[in-house]
Amino acid sequence: MDQFLQLQALHYAYPERGAVLRDVSLQLARGEIHCLIGRSGCGKSTVLKLVAGLLAPLDGQVLLQGQTIIEPVPEMSFVFQTPTLLNWLSVLDNVLLPLSLHRAVTAADRVHGEQLLAQMGLAALCDDRPQRLSGGQQSRVAIARALVTRPAVLLMDEPFAALDAITREDLQRDFLALCQAHGTGVLFVTHDMAEAVYLADQVSLLHEGRIHASLRIALPKPRHTAMRYSAPFNALCAQLRQAMDATL
Amino acid sequence: MNRDAATSAVLGLTCLAAWEALVRLGQTSPLVLPAPSVVAHALWQGLSSGYLWPHIAHTLTEVVLGLLLGASMGFVGGVVLGESARVRRVFMPYVVLSQVVPKLALAPLFIVWFGFGLLPTVVMTALICFFPLLENIATAMQQVDAHKLELFRMLRASAWQTLWRLKIPAGLPHIMAGLRVAVVLAWVGAVVGEFIGSSHGLGALIIAAQGSMDTPLMFAVLTVITVLGLAFYQAAQWLEQRLLRSQLEVSKRAKK
Repeated sequence: MDQFLQLQALHYAYPERGAVLRDVSLQLARGEIHCLIGRSGCGKSTVLKLVAGLLAPLDGQVLLQGQTIIEPVPEMSFVFQTPTLLNWLSVLDNVLLPLSLHRAVTAADRVHGEQLLAQMGLAALCDDRPQRLSGGQQSRVAIARALVTRPAVLLMDEPFAALDAITREDLQRDFLALCQAHGTGVLFVTHDMAEAVYLADQVSLLHEGRIHASLRIALPKPRHTAMRYSAPFNALCAQLRQAMDATL
Repeated sequence: MNRDAATSAVLGLTCLAAWEALVRLGQTSPLVLPAPSVVAHALWQGLSSGYLWPHIAHTLTEVVLGLLLGASMGFVGGVVLGESARVRRVFMPYVVLSQVVPKLALAPLFIVWFGFGLLPTVVMTALICFFPLLENIATAMQQVDAHKLELFRMLRASAWQTLWRLKIPAGLPHIMAGLRVAVVLAWVGAVVGEFIGSSHGLGALIIAAQGSMDTPLMFAVLTVITVLGLAFYQAAQWLEQRLLRSQLEVSKRAKK
């Protein structure tokens, strides 16, 4: 099997809410981007937390390169819905936090952190405090922080949901470029269909805790903003929309 | 800002002038209400003759020791209570109980236990000023953003790292607010403790001045206590700003 990350028949229930996931299975190849789309409360975020090892499945298992995930591992990074930056650290120190928690930060680490920030268009803001940044800039810092450990898999929980449309599109473009440059696999949760089609190699539709439909996105790569207005793009969006409507 | 500060100063001076005028025109006995000039004279005499200094030193020692003891108890207690819901459920009723008991009523007991020296007042001061810190720290520990806690779990941070690198810095504004209250309460604890069981210190001096009907001296001692209390409050504020700023400087230094 060349599948890099595997979710095998995951079941999960919160004590107070009952079952939220039933028999969720997914595969992610190395460097692939997989979007998980669904309405609010369909269990998307729970899938990510199970993959991350933040929650333990009641049944089924998550395998990363054949290893069962039972707790957070350094090969995976998580980007939360909110940027979760630490106000008392500079932007660069926020980016370096995943390293500084485990060892002394070296000069090479700092260069790497600065590079990531530069790739995210924030080179001038390394020494600033995060609360002085705009919402979009904070999201960029959070992504740089997630990538600083050179993870094999990035777990994204609607990280752009709170941003305005233009900022979001710019971020999607830069994020995609960065992931491709690093060969990072991504499991990306969203409720935005255009976002899913633009980013993904594969989109899975989650409904009432089950994978309801799966869609291959065969758009050429790298993707450009102009593609958003092309016929194939819109056809895929329409297809996804129909699949979502079928869940009503 | 400066204009407001000037207005504030003018207001204070006007009040003092009105007080002075009222006392002089009304021929009020200095036993009841001495004029500010009389108080100032008493204060100057007390300071220049060296009479007040040993008492100031005594009370200052009590406040500093009481504050150190109380603040460390409050800090450790607050962290422990904030970290464990179980400990909180078991101990919180007793912590509240210890605060509901009028501590000043415990002073005679402390004299029995600890004698007439520094110790009873230090214990009293510590007991009074530990609570606001404990309460604020325990609250701050529980109010840390759930997403940030999840981030630290994802980054495989230890419980100790989560405490020192997330919960304490995130709660610093709360913690310092508690410390400011504690600093003010420490002076109350020390002075009232001296009222009851001491022959030294500013509190004891007020009682002695009352015994000899020396009202100007009482006012002079009150002035000293107020000025010192203010100085402590300012010091706490300065510390707060410094700590918040040093967090940034540490991060800047790490970069080089």
